[in-house]
Amino acid sequence: MKISKNISIPWHIAFLITIFLLIFPIVFAVGSSFTSLQDAYNHPLALFPLNPTLENYQAFFDSLPAIKIAINTFIIASVVTLFKVVTSFMAAYAFVYFIFKGKNTLYFMLISTIFLPFTVTMIPNYLIISNLGLSDSLWGVVLPQLADAMGIFLLTQALRTIPVSLIEVARLDDMSHWQIMKDIVLPLARPAVTSTSIWFFITAWNEYVWPVLILKSTENFTLPLALQMYISSEGGTNFTVAMAVSVVTMIIPLALYLMFQRYIIGTFTSSGIK
Amino acid sequence: MKTLSRFWLLFMAVVFLAACSDEEGDSSGAAASGDKVKIEYWHVNAETQGGKTVEELVKEFNAQSDTVEVVAKFNPDMYKGLMQNLQAEAAAGNAPAVVQIGWAFLDYFSNNFSYTEPQSIIDQYFTEDKTFLTDHFLPNVMDLAKNSEGSQVGIPYSLSNPVLYINRDLLREAGLDENGPKTWQEVQQFSKVIKEKTGKYGFYLQEPADNWATQALLESNGAQMITNGKATFASPEGIEAYSLWADMIVKEKTALHIGWDQGIQSFIDGNVAMLYTTIAQRSNVQNNAQFDVATVKSPVWEGKEVKLPAGGAMLAITAQKEEQQKAAWEFMKFLYSVESVAKWTKGTGYVPPREGVADAENGLKQFLEENEMMQAAVDQMDVIVPWTSFPGDAGLQAEQLLLDMRDQILGGTITAEEGLTSTQDAINELLK
Amino acid sequence: MFWPFLYTIYLSFFDWNMIKPTKEFVGLQNYIEVLKDPLTYKVFGNSAVYIFILLLLNFTVPYIFAFILDFVIGRMKSFYKSAFFLPAFISLVVGSILFTWILNPVSGPVAIVMGWFGLEMPIWSKLDGWVIFILSLITSWKIFGYNFILLYASINGISREVIEAARLDNVPLWKIFFHIVVPMSSATGIYIFIITIVQGLQFAFTPIKVITQGGPNYASSNVIYHAYHEAFVLYRTGHSAALSILTMVIFVILLIVEFKYVERGIYYENK
Repeated sequence: MKISKNISIPWHIAFLITIFLLIFPIVFAVGSSFTSLQDAYNHPLALFPLNPTLENYQAFFDSLPAIKIAINTFIIASVVTLFKVVTSFMAAYAFVYFIFKGKNTLYFMLISTIFLPFTVTMIPNYLIISNLGLSDSLWGVVLPQLADAMGIFLLTQALRTIPVSLIEVARLDDMSHWQIMKDIVLPLARPAVTSTSIWFFITAWNEYVWPVLILKSTENFTLPLALQMYISSEGGTNFTVAMAVSVVTMIIPLALYLMFQRYIIGTFTSSGIK
Repeated sequence: MKTLSRFWLLFMAVVFLAACSDEEGDSSGAAASGDKVKIEYWHVNAETQGGKTVEELVKEFNAQSDTVEVVAKFNPDMYKGLMQNLQAEAAAGNAPAVVQIGWAFLDYFSNNFSYTEPQSIIDQYFTEDKTFLTDHFLPNVMDLAKNSEGSQVGIPYSLSNPVLYINRDLLREAGLDENGPKTWQEVQQFSKVIKEKTGKYGFYLQEPADNWATQALLESNGAQMITNGKATFASPEGIEAYSLWADMIVKEKTALHIGWDQGIQSFIDGNVAMLYTTIAQRSNVQNNAQFDVATVKSPVWEGKEVKLPAGGAMLAITAQKEEQQKAAWEFMKFLYSVESVAKWTKGTGYVPPREGVADAENGLKQFLEENEMMQAAVDQMDVIVPWTSFPGDAGLQAEQLLLDMRDQILGGTITAEEGLTSTQDAINELLK
Repeated sequence: MFWPFLYTIYLSFFDWNMIKPTKEFVGLQNYIEVLKDPLTYKVFGNSAVYIFILLLLNFTVPYIFAFILDFVIGRMKSFYKSAFFLPAFISLVVGSILFTWILNPVSGPVAIVMGWFGLEMPIWSKLDGWVIFILSLITSWKIFGYNFILLYASINGISREVIEAARLDNVPLWKIFFHIVVPMSSATGIYIFIITIVQGLQFAFTPIKVITQGGPNYASSNVIYHAYHEAFVLYRTGHSAALSILTMVIFVILLIVEFKYVERGIYYENK
């Protein structure tokens, strides 16, 4: 497709400005994590540390079992993601291709639950976890996160764009629903499934409400909870250590993203069924 | 699907790693705990506010006790956050053994949670400690932890009071007394001069989600937040005090009106000359300010008696079973020893709640000599009064009304007089 | 999945603070009080402002950007995609602390740079209007990229032939956008539209809690935060539950409207 340069240049500029606004805070965070707190207070304009130091990272790794905490976070986020993606996908498949009584009502009610402010469901959920004896355990953090209709909503929307004729043909060929789901629908819905997974992973990775309520010992902490240890209104927030923890927190999903990036970008550009 | 399997591989590897490290943890933990009674200690101390010291003290205690094992749980978002977690825990029918309760929650806590007065546990199981509390604590300090019905809910532990931090360099630049203002009227004048001479803000009074510093300002002028269970802060003295602060912000624009974090940031980098906040911020300010910084005692109103509300928290016992309660006192007695309290003060910047620490060799003698900025807070201990906690179920709402009022007055939408009067009426309506 | 929901309805008929052993049944009292409270309307008004700004920044802008990136921009495509998505990795707790520092109106780097041009930064955290705007910006910072990627994937999946044909006929870009691209990507579009409203308010909760606690005088509170405030700051569980149910009812009515009217116009391949 040929587009004349003079249309695209203003857009390039608009994009670059947006990117600057989006990226600047991240650069600032990374810079601060290598700066002493004193320098951070007194030289707010220095984007790059004047006297680069690792002391903030050291403070984090010395005072908390940082690696254990990172592993905990990873396990929680992975379990939540895998479980949610699989169940959401199957539910979405059922909602789109099965015909059963009360389907629309059920779907509607499920979607309604995402409008309920999450804060009010905290207590009932907490009671369940605690009755199951899962306080201070990783499972206790995982469980309440699984009930989430968001993925069903997104994937249903995605599956509805797949031509139903494809499924009908497959049914005529005597394929089971399981096979259709795996061999036909999944490949076609890959962009949606991938982006849903990424989003689930990031959300679970950064989840903060449940770990705060459920986890007690530092051994079981997650990274967002560790961050809270450097934020205090009364004693003052240790901004630079908090930024170091934040950098550690973001670097892991980012590294994963980069590892799989080629594949992920691929899913976004190759959905060429039409 | 290749990616998915790669992800699985990675996942399994991590789980395996975690399993390995878990085993190590378990084996060492099992050896240490044995048959000990396990109790939970809930605190709010982030790393910048003594978190390390909590850890140290707990470790030390566990090492020397054969019968009790303490697990410390950190609660983010200060005393409000702890109260929320405690709420959830209570709803599930559990309770930790020892908890830190912020003063503002004193009445709410004692009305809604089941606790045991420390003295009654001592009387029942530890007759040898019968006089521990009366021997080592000033009566005005112990009173801080009494609720409106007179029950001794807990024992004061983290004690702070408000001091005035000054940027001497800026004061000198403006040609003012480098020892800072003594009275609130002087604070107002100093601010004006600083704004004129240096263009910087003169003053910032902390604005967190509570009315602690405001109470110091008002009550030092002779106002009373509460008298016989009714709000009485809208007296002429209260209005005079609040107006001074509001005028500095709204009319004279010499004081800063901003969130707490940002206000402190602006003092530390030299954009505000005077900061009125808790002594608990001392190490943050002292370590990071690159100018000649000092603390002075809380300013007075001319001819009036200073009254400063205590900040911080008490320790209360929420353990329900006998053996847990015993363990709780054993742990608390350890925390209130001279050495532990000294460590606590060094690690947090709080003022020692008990006597015999400030001047003791194994206490804080040397520390106070080295950290002059602590002195102002220690000197003010005798004028400490309880932080007002509104009684009854609506107490927290009353507190909230005061915050709403602050936003309105400092935002300039209403005058201090209108705000205080109408809020006082609204609170008394609530407390009925 | 429905249990918390039913429990919330149940709680909305009681006066309770979560720990008292007895719940007092008060019937519709909580609803009446919530409806009488002028704060409720203020908070709903604020929510509408949040929704408006969030839709503009996280629905309209990324929709246009995704279209432009796919059809106009030739080079640096993958760079743009990755860069837009980057902030999505960071939690809003981090974002809030970070922006509190960067946007400090007296001491932050932005204020200093503005000072060079003789501009004074408003003390946004204490000013009505400004406070919602800045908190919305912080929220948008995180969700912009995710919405963008989804919209991009959807637009990218549209059959090229129709558009090529339109191009050859010299149909202007904005017409292609409104007459071809938007209708054909509307399945994802409506999804983004709805989650921007719902999730947007939930996401804005974090910066509100970290930075302003709903202040000044509730000027930055939205329904989600207010429900939290009632339940976990003032411990008025019944009020909070009633407010949540009302919020949900409003959203569900909107959803029904969507199902009834908008849904028909949406382009699904399997209809």
